[in-house]
Amino acid sequence: MNSIFEIDNLNLHYDDFQALKDINIRIEKNKVTALIGPSGCGKSTFLRCLNRMNDLIDSCKITGEIEFKEENIYTSNYDVISLRTKVGMVFQKPNPFPMSIYDNVAYGPRCQGIKDKNILDEIVATSLKSSALYEEVRDRIKESALSLSGGQQQRLCIARAIAMEPEVILMDEPTSALDPIATLRIEELMNELKKKYTIIIVTHSMHQAARISDNTAFFLMGELIEFDKTNKIFTTPKNQKTEDYITGRFG
Amino acid sequence: MLNKRNIIDIIYQVITYLAASVGVIALSMIIFFVFSNGLKLLNFGLLVNDYHAEFYNGGIDDPIFTFSHRPISLDDKVFYSQKWGIGLVDSKDREGNPIIIIEYISGDSPLLEIYDKNNEESKEIIGIDKGFLVSKISYYDKNTSLTMYGAESMINDIESTNEIREIVFSSLGGGIRGSIITTLYLISITIIIALPIGISTAIYLNEFSSKNRLTSLLRSLIETLTGVPSIIFGLLGLAVFVPLTIRFSEATSANIVSGSLTLSVILLPIIIKSTEESLKVVPDSFRSASLALGANHTQTTLKVVLPSAFPGIMTGTLLAIGRIIGESAALIFAIGTAVKDDISIFGKSTTLSVHIWSLMKDEPANIELASTIAIVILLIVLTLNIIVKLISKRFIKEF
Ligand SMILES: Nc1ncnc2c1ncn2[C@@H]1O[C@H](COP(=O)(O)OP(=O)(O)OP(=O)(O)O)[C@@H](O)[C@H]1O
Ligand SMILES: [Mg+2]
Repeated sequence: MNSIFEIDNLNLHYDDFQALKDINIRIEKNKVTALIGPSGCGKSTFLRCLNRMNDLIDSCKITGEIEFKEENIYTSNYDVISLRTKVGMVFQKPNPFPMSIYDNVAYGPRCQGIKDKNILDEIVATSLKSSALYEEVRDRIKESALSLSGGQQQRLCIARAIAMEPEVILMDEPTSALDPIATLRIEELMNELKKKYTIIIVTHSMHQAARISDNTAFFLMGELIEFDKTNKIFTTPKNQKTEDYITGRFG
Repeated sequence: MLNKRNIIDIIYQVITYLAASVGVIALSMIIFFVFSNGLKLLNFGLLVNDYHAEFYNGGIDDPIFTFSHRPISLDDKVFYSQKWGIGLVDSKDREGNPIIIIEYISGDSPLLEIYDKNNEESKEIIGIDKGFLVSKISYYDKNTSLTMYGAESMINDIESTNEIREIVFSSLGGGIRGSIITTLYLISITIIIALPIGISTAIYLNEFSSKNRLTSLLRSLIETLTGVPSIIFGLLGLAVFVPLTIRFSEATSANIVSGSLTLSVILLPIIIKSTEESLKVVPDSFRSASLALGANHTQTTLKVVLPSAFPGIMTGTLLAIGRIIGESAALIFAIGTAVKDDISIFGKSTTLSVHIWSLMKDEPANIELASTIAIVILLIVLTLNIIVKLISKRFIKEF
């Protein structure tokens, strides 16, 4: 198995509360991995470990090992900035900056010091095309990103992440704030994106997990209960708790 | 049927209406007072003229008479001399003494050539103008005409003579140009000092500092400073900034710079607090989004957080400027109360508010001019308000 993330004995505490308990998991490269589980089981917390966004939370303490491309990212001299350029993130609520569409997409590259207008134009155009937004916004690329619909805003956020040419895209319930049609478009988009990128997605929708993911991890109360091929999880789960959750008996 | 609930509601409503109307009535009474007293003095001359009247002894050699006709627009009360092209009118000064004012002077009047008799060699032209006071005119061939005989007799005297020995007149004075300029200087210098320091401190406190003893100490210090009466800061200015500026510049007394430094200290807590408030309302999702894109802390602050907080910071700045315009207690010590016409930043002068204060402490108090200055202050504040609204609006509309 060709894994991009290798996580060993990951434990995470918020002050005294243990949010993740002894997680061991290998995330496969260029596959879609879905994280499912009831609310509060630690899916978002786990996701934030992968690009070290948990660093922003003062109370958060982590032990164990997370290796990204065979390098432990939780060592003190690891370059967090470059990690985040390689591991992009899309949030639950679309959060474009209050700037133009263009400036939103160009934001990341600009922060890395790219100033050449031609290069930026090129990056913006390809990113918008890859996120299937280009046709809709090509005439108003200089207009405010806040004038877009919720679904368009979320695709803009994906474009913004793609503009960094990351290797992994983390998505935390990217469609939960969207209507079914916008959701469908994002799911189609993910099917395109997984050819190039490794995607790790948190979702509350079993159908979504079943439709788009290759592997599925089931979390419960901070523990990783089961991790397997998606079709195995949904047809023949090994663990009784997984089966209960998938069949809707609790959660 | 009225039940108990309804009655209580009605009582509450009546109380709020009463409170609101008391507020409105008090405000309108102040505004009415200020406008009814001050409006008659308000004109362009007041804004650009000197405060201190300037006295001149003017002389004129070989006048060339042009005999311009009396303009039809001149009021009947104005007495006009065709020979000298000048119209005079009787009036009274603030203390009720008679004065004679130049109401009109024609463009080709020989009197425009009047030179300064105190400076006989250079014969510098004085530039007599409408609004000047004429106090006496003396001749070679007859008795001097004086203010006490009135404008009519003065006009008759000069109309019947071809030579004037000396003409004594003064500029009107009472203008507030000096105080306006001082106020503007004070605003600019204070803002230049206090805004960068205040905004940087707020950014440090809100975006960079971790929560430790030192920052919470700093916060409570700032909190405390906001409540200290400004006159205490004035004493600080007198004790620290005035000697400091005297030592390190050409200043010899309290001056605009010492005033600005004192005001900066007063404003810092206000600017820090208002900036922090506007930084706090910037959604954390912007910060996360930026950091997740590989931006570092500084880039996130400068490119995302600060622009979003900009309208709030502008409002804070406006409040600060309002405070500068309105401050008087501290400035009485820190900048002094001398009303001046020639302004330099290390020299003595005073602001509009302190000007009001010194007018009102005179005996008799000059309520009219004080009210007029109050109107000017109101207008300045209003203009600033509109400017800031427009800027913020444009900024918001852009995004
Ligand atoms: N910043 C924080 N400080 C303290 N506790 C936190 C923090 N963030 C999350 N937690 C706790 O950690 C646990 C896991 O939270 P997390 O947000 O990862 O759950 P989740 O699986 O993403 O839930 P959901 O499906 O509702 O998003 C919860 O009990 C939550 O209360
Ligand atoms: Mg979550």
